[in-house]
Amino acid sequence: MRPLNEMREVTIGGIGITKWGFYENAEWYDFGSEAILAALKDAEMEWKDVQAAFCGSVYQGTGSGHQAIKEIGLTGIPIINVENACSSCASAFRLAYQMVAAEIYDIVLAVGMEKMPRGPIPSTAFRPWELKLGFNVQPANYANIAVQYMKNTGATMEDFSLVTIKNRRHGTLNPNARFQKPVTLEEVMNSRLVAIPLRLLHCCPLADGAAAFILCSKDKLKSKHKVITVAASTLTSGVYGEGYPPADLIPSLKYPPAMTLSELSAKQAYEVAGCGPADIDVVQAYDTMAPAELWDLEELGFCKPGEAPHLLREGVFDLNGKIPVNTDGGLMSRGHPLGATAGGQIYEIVLQLRGQAGLRQVKDAKVGLAHAMGAGPNSAVTILKR
Amino acid sequence: MTKDGKMIFPLNEGLYTLPSLPDEKTQLIGSKCTNCGELFFPKKDKGLCIHCQQITLEEVKLSRQGKIASFTIVLQPPSGGFYHGPVPYAYGYVDLPEGVRIETQFTGDFNTLEIGGDVELVIEKLYEDAEGNEFVTYKFKPLKD
Repeated sequence: MRPLNEMREVTIGGIGITKWGFYENAEWYDFGSEAILAALKDAEMEWKDVQAAFCGSVYQGTGSGHQAIKEIGLTGIPIINVENACSSCASAFRLAYQMVAAEIYDIVLAVGMEKMPRGPIPSTAFRPWELKLGFNVQPANYANIAVQYMKNTGATMEDFSLVTIKNRRHGTLNPNARFQKPVTLEEVMNSRLVAIPLRLLHCCPLADGAAAFILCSKDKLKSKHKVITVAASTLTSGVYGEGYPPADLIPSLKYPPAMTLSELSAKQAYEVAGCGPADIDVVQAYDTMAPAELWDLEELGFCKPGEAPHLLREGVFDLNGKIPVNTDGGLMSRGHPLGATAGGQIYEIVLQLRGQAGLRQVKDAKVGLAHAMGAGPNSAVTILKR
Repeated sequence: MTKDGKMIFPLNEGLYTLPSLPDEKTQLIGSKCTNCGELFFPKKDKGLCIHCQQITLEEVKLSRQGKIASFTIVLQPPSGGFYHGPVPYAYGYVDLPEGVRIETQFTGDFNTLEIGGDVELVIEKLYEDAEGNEFVTYKFKPLKD
């Protein structure tokens, strides 16, 4: 096996995104093609320059990427559809990266797109006997992790609410986010109880949308943007013995894992990138539920287990803090179009490293990390550098 | 058969024993690996241990008492239309002393649920259909002090 960091350097040629929200009169191929065209424009490239396409989505059915690309024009390139739950776009991005790194192609498209089903998200993880017992309520599955986290770390409901408040505050500066209004502690704590102890405003909202990336070798870059390279793009599935209720995984009490899947994907990413958590200037963590951001930051190595609530209260994860987290508002503000979500995270890292994040710009950000995970389970870590 | 010709059905087959003698008590049915000792609930019909990948599983009856590892109380019905029980309902995980974690609904007074609390297996109605037939399931119930 040839180490990826010894292969050809891969750069971000261009990026595109749509405004995320609910659209009754548009489909995934509308969002997808819009994001692809935006990425091409940003890259200052022509559609005919693109040599292969990896298209992430979850709910759109067979050949969903082909449908989006048909809106732009078929050119005979290989189109590969990628369904990997909430990590679909990160997985598509990784495949595009590998194709360029391995010198199979020079210019490759990665896109994530989704028109979400309305209402609670159905999951394939649960067996019929579990469905009959009602074990498929995702906020409840996160609640089961959250109560253990509270017991182990002393974290409070207010800590969880502060994650929502921080991310919604950051989201006010992101014109592409579904929600751009801040929320107060009172609003979060008085929102409807979904699964004790979690309330509605501890859960990320859904959204429709897309994000697209042109990945290319450095010699193919055309735009005058700062050069952003892919330092690492890792993907891990579940490890034996780890409990992860949202993916219907019950922990082994006899054979607990040495590392969680998030820890494993982060470790692999830091090794490939040749850096560690201390070198990261901006982070997009996985805040599908407010408390999840806290244990995510711990598993990614930004602090010790149980320290995240305290650091959150100190403002360490604020836009102007030492480790700015979810600078675009995270899933809490962007919303969660499953197949596109990880693309929203990577898009934000590119903007931050280019210095194009406007009012939410992190000063002199040089290295950024995005983490997507979810059902499967999957865990995808992307590290970009300039 | 119950009163008025109504029937009682297990919600799911094969998850627990059906005692035939008056003194016998229901137990959950799991699998134990004779190679690595790993335990699973429910039992795995294929007999393959997903820890050591050997076809070395044998059926075991599990302890009736354990401790709550975590719990939540759900206040909205699950999606998909598969669940016909009451809402709110409580579910979470129970650790059994032999070293296996069980996903379960809880019954009894939800206010007495706490992590580390002692619970015991019960078989209880989840719901009745339109004809009055009862569908029963295993649950765990907090033990009184």
